[in-house]
Amino acid sequence: MLRFTGWAILRLAAIMLLASFAGAMLMRFAPGFTSDDQELNSGLSAESIQAIRQAHQADANIPRFYMHYLGSLVQGDLGTSRSLNQPVKDLLRERLPVTLFNLAFALAAGWLLGLALAIAAQTLRWPVLSFLANGLSGTFISTPAAALALVFLLLRLQPAFAAALLVFPKIYRYTQNLLQQSSEMPHVLTARAKGAGPLRVLAWHIAPTALPQLIALVGVSISIGIGVLLPIEVVSDVPGIGQLAWQAAQSRDLPLLVNLTMIVTFVTVCATLISDAAQRRFTRSAA
Amino acid sequence: MKTVRIIAIAVLLLTAGAVLFANYLAPAGYEQQFRELPQAGPSAHHPLGTDDLGRDRWARLLYGMRVSLTLAPLAALLTTFLAGLVGGLAGYFGGWTERCSKLLIDFVLSIPWLFLLITVRAVLPLNISPQASVTVTFILLGLLGWAASARVICSGAKDLMKSEFVWMARASGFSGMKLIRLHLLPNLRGALLAQFWISIPVFIIAEANLGALGLGVSEPLPSLGSLLRELQDALTLRPEPWRLLPLAVLIVVISSFQVLLNKGLLNKQEVRA
Repeated sequence: MLRFTGWAILRLAAIMLLASFAGAMLMRFAPGFTSDDQELNSGLSAESIQAIRQAHQADANIPRFYMHYLGSLVQGDLGTSRSLNQPVKDLLRERLPVTLFNLAFALAAGWLLGLALAIAAQTLRWPVLSFLANGLSGTFISTPAAALALVFLLLRLQPAFAAALLVFPKIYRYTQNLLQQSSEMPHVLTARAKGAGPLRVLAWHIAPTALPQLIALVGVSISIGIGVLLPIEVVSDVPGIGQLAWQAAQSRDLPLLVNLTMIVTFVTVCATLISDAAQRRFTRSAA
Repeated sequence: MKTVRIIAIAVLLLTAGAVLFANYLAPAGYEQQFRELPQAGPSAHHPLGTDDLGRDRWARLLYGMRVSLTLAPLAALLTTFLAGLVGGLAGYFGGWTERCSKLLIDFVLSIPWLFLLITVRAVLPLNISPQASVTVTFILLGLLGWAASARVICSGAKDLMKSEFVWMARASGFSGMKLIRLHLLPNLRGALLAQFWISIPVFIIAEANLGALGLGVSEPLPSLGSLLRELQDALTLRPEPWRLLPLAVLIVVISSFQVLLNKGLLNKQEVRA
């Protein structure tokens, strides 16, 4: 367990280093990096403009720029948004709870619906139910998040429901395939042949083999949830991280955008590592 | 289920036909303006009416489908190539190459792709031409979408490297490139093909999301994404059902793809992968 935790932390550190390097390079090579709006300020003296230019030229050195950027990140300094003229930390404090709440709701509802339909389709084996569930998941997996958000806006429904409906197909399909595969395993067939009922087979024979893989899906579903929330927040005007990222992209506020991406990456990697650890633990205890 | 598959194939063939013959089916070019008819309703000359700038919506839908449905497979091709390269090499060499490749795959998979996409898109110059914007959008999709496929290919290549026939080939003195060409690639073809087909609907939806957010293909070139953007005011201010056609087309086309992906076309390859 200790070795796994050590590797997980190392993996997290390596991914975050790669992400911060990519982010720093994007900022460094973005158009207009070496120029500043303040240079156009006629009220500034020639010395002040020269000082601003020199400060920018110092950042032109890539290793120095990256080390400076990394140092700030380690100290928790996420910089200041150029477009909103506010510290990124403050913006996050305002908007992160909104996104986290919507994400939690979307994941809970998406998982509930996906699991319920997959289990019902597997245990009841009604062709109509399977057809409807497949049709529903097929429709939502084929719908862009922004378009569904628009429809929800028209129907005056909560945007988090739209996110839940977009998370649901992945959960449903994965669970259904997993249950299908598990139900064809020899020990399940034996249990069924010995007369065990569908619920008993599901609870005692299928679930223990399928659960570890389902736990691993938790991390992936968080990533899916974050991905679908971005367009939904933009279209539905929800003041969350997704909307902030879009505003930053529109106004080319790269420091804000890169730092937001870094934070979301951090959350996603942590969630994946935790779900991997949970899966490992569960597999061991099941064995 | 067979009926559903036949309908899906018919829909895709119909769409392919519409995309191929857009020049003949469209009453006008996608950027031609009918200035006397802005926001017109459906008529014999303009089956889906015209947009705010007086452009024929039916023509824009046909050309938009052409852009999205032609470039998504090209982006999928790029993704499959990259996935094959990274995943194949990782599986073939193993050891540190595999560890480094897996770290890179984990890194790309960890970054929410839409955040990454809008970040990279925001770096591009403002005065980018529509043709360049469409190319860049789909190249970006292709460059950023390979990681999940690479993981599948890596696992497939690793399994192959452990198989008896590869051991025998190596014992018979087959060199690296010869082994890859004669044994690995032919056996990975199914998995690569599956990843290619799976990527197409993903990229069409990704472009649609980007376009709806205003970060996709630039005007006046239409794409399914940029047509969805028009729905924002259509749904909130002027509910006109015919304006929902691009969305309906998108859902029907992607659903048809999904039906074929799920019902047999790729199942065997996916299971093998």
